[in-house]
Amino acid sequence: MTVNWAQVFFNSAITGSLYLIGAVGLTLIYGLSRFPNFAHAEFIALGAYIGYSVAEQAGLGLPLALVVAFLITGIVGVLCYRGIFQPLAKRGASIIHLMVASIALGFVLRHSIGAVCTWKPLYFTAIGSAFDFGPLRITHLWLWLIFAALVLSLTMHCLLMYTKIGKAIRATSSNPELALASGINVDRVIWITWFIGAGLAAIAGIFLGADTAVVPLTGWNIILPIFAVAILGGIGNFYGAIAAAFIIGLVENLGVVGLVALGLSTTYRIGIAFLILIITLIIKPQGLAMLFRRA
Amino acid sequence: MGASLYILDLVVYIGIFGIVALSLNLEFGFTGLANFGKVAFFLIGAYTYALLSQMGVPFYLCLITGASLAAIFGLLVSLPALRLRADYLAIAVLAFGEILRLIVKSEKWLAGGDWGTPVNPIFPYTGSYIIYRLENIGLVFLCLIICFLVVQLLANSPYGRVLRAIREDEVAAEALGKSKAKYKAQVFMLGSAMAGLAGGLYAQYLQYVLPGMFMPMVTFTVWIMVLLGGPANNWGALLGAALVQIFARGTNIAKDYIALPIDLNDLQYILFGVLIILMLLFRPQGLLKESTIKTKALKLVRNGRRAIKNKGSQ
Repeated sequence: MTVNWAQVFFNSAITGSLYLIGAVGLTLIYGLSRFPNFAHAEFIALGAYIGYSVAEQAGLGLPLALVVAFLITGIVGVLCYRGIFQPLAKRGASIIHLMVASIALGFVLRHSIGAVCTWKPLYFTAIGSAFDFGPLRITHLWLWLIFAALVLSLTMHCLLMYTKIGKAIRATSSNPELALASGINVDRVIWITWFIGAGLAAIAGIFLGADTAVVPLTGWNIILPIFAVAILGGIGNFYGAIAAAFIIGLVENLGVVGLVALGLSTTYRIGIAFLILIITLIIKPQGLAMLFRRA
Repeated sequence: MGASLYILDLVVYIGIFGIVALSLNLEFGFTGLANFGKVAFFLIGAYTYALLSQMGVPFYLCLITGASLAAIFGLLVSLPALRLRADYLAIAVLAFGEILRLIVKSEKWLAGGDWGTPVNPIFPYTGSYIIYRLENIGLVFLCLIICFLVVQLLANSPYGRVLRAIREDEVAAEALGKSKAKYKAQVFMLGSAMAGLAGGLYAQYLQYVLPGMFMPMVTFTVWIMVLLGGPANNWGALLGAALVQIFARGTNIAKDYIALPIDLNDLQYILFGVLIILMLLFRPQGLLKESTIKTKALKLVRNGRRAIKNKGSQ
């Protein structure tokens, strides 16, 4: 069997871009609110459904779908924080209580989506046609996805490094007490991060849904690699997440080649993320964060 | 006839999930471990039972092997994460459960893949479902009582007080020379073994296993039982198991009489989710509060205090 290596690397870039967009919100919220928000998966699914209704049912196209899904899901994220997680944290809930609450929220959101939109998978119509570029098979959606990941990286970089709110996010993430003492409005920082994080999850959801299918489990299906990205990259660390997303994208696609060569089912590709997660926990639980001290 | 069968079925379920709730209570309630992959160990017990029983292994060996395998896997999965914060353990074990379900789903030669595999029951069918269920109730409640006694005795022993100390303040417990990783690993093994036992009982009662029975929702249901009944209270865990099962059955019956605009399955999950969030917000200690520690020394102190009070009032 010959392996089309160019395609493997291109696919790695696509997978990495998707994981990056999906995981940035998770890792930033994780770093600020100090618990893993399992309902992040449902923000992804919610985004996919909003994107579907705007792009397909209303026929307004992908760019508008991205914007609308970002805004609505972002608002849902803020409401969840204000309505559930902030009151819980104020009552002194432990990290376990916060995690359980996020799983409970996930079930409420997922099954609300299921109840409203039914569990039948929905499919986006293909955007443009697939074409060949040398040995590569490329779709327009994939180019959009890589473009979106690039824009996201640049925007987030500028936001975190050069704006007041970005600096406040980094300060609060590394030391909330000190940030509060220096006059940063920590509450505002946290809800803005929830807005951005949930919104970005929605964008990942649209790309994932358009590439495969839109189902209420859309988000849950990639929760493993996304958590692996957040942990490998170092919790709350944006630059670590970029590196981790592409590392996991690459390893996963190489792993698929290996699985095919071994004659195993390719559904195990999700197991590769799990392996990376466990290895990170054993060797370096703080992830790649030490490579990116400034962030 | 139909109603009594239904109630007997409910009692079997309460017994099986009571065991799982007790095991989570030991891990989360007493020790503060966030096991988000309970279903993984439940699955190991069930599939071990199924595969061994097909080979003609006697049922008690199937149950014991299932529980031991669950314990071993519990140790292996938790070891990397036990040194770290609670959230790492939660993510690692949750992921483990998903992977395990993926394996039994994809490996068709192992246990039939998606379609699952039949399981040999312990009690042969003798013409009456009532007798079959009564026999199962006997077995399940025997296991439940054993597990309850084990957890109850552990919780009220010096060992259990160390567990509570670790839950309240890891650093203080370590400073007193109690290795938190050692205790946590032991508790995680014991909890997983109990879940494995329950899984075996579940498989043999239903007489089949398939991957769809081991969705993450199972873990979450057990969490609802413990949080509702009252963490660190074994009676609470049992109460929670009973209430959640009755509630789930109740909504199932209600659907025959009330026309609902939405799918019942979805409604049930939404209600469970809302219930959990409300419990966490307004009554995190659950319905039954954590019972106070009973020791001889404490009893002496209390009696002494009462004696002094009585003297003062005379």
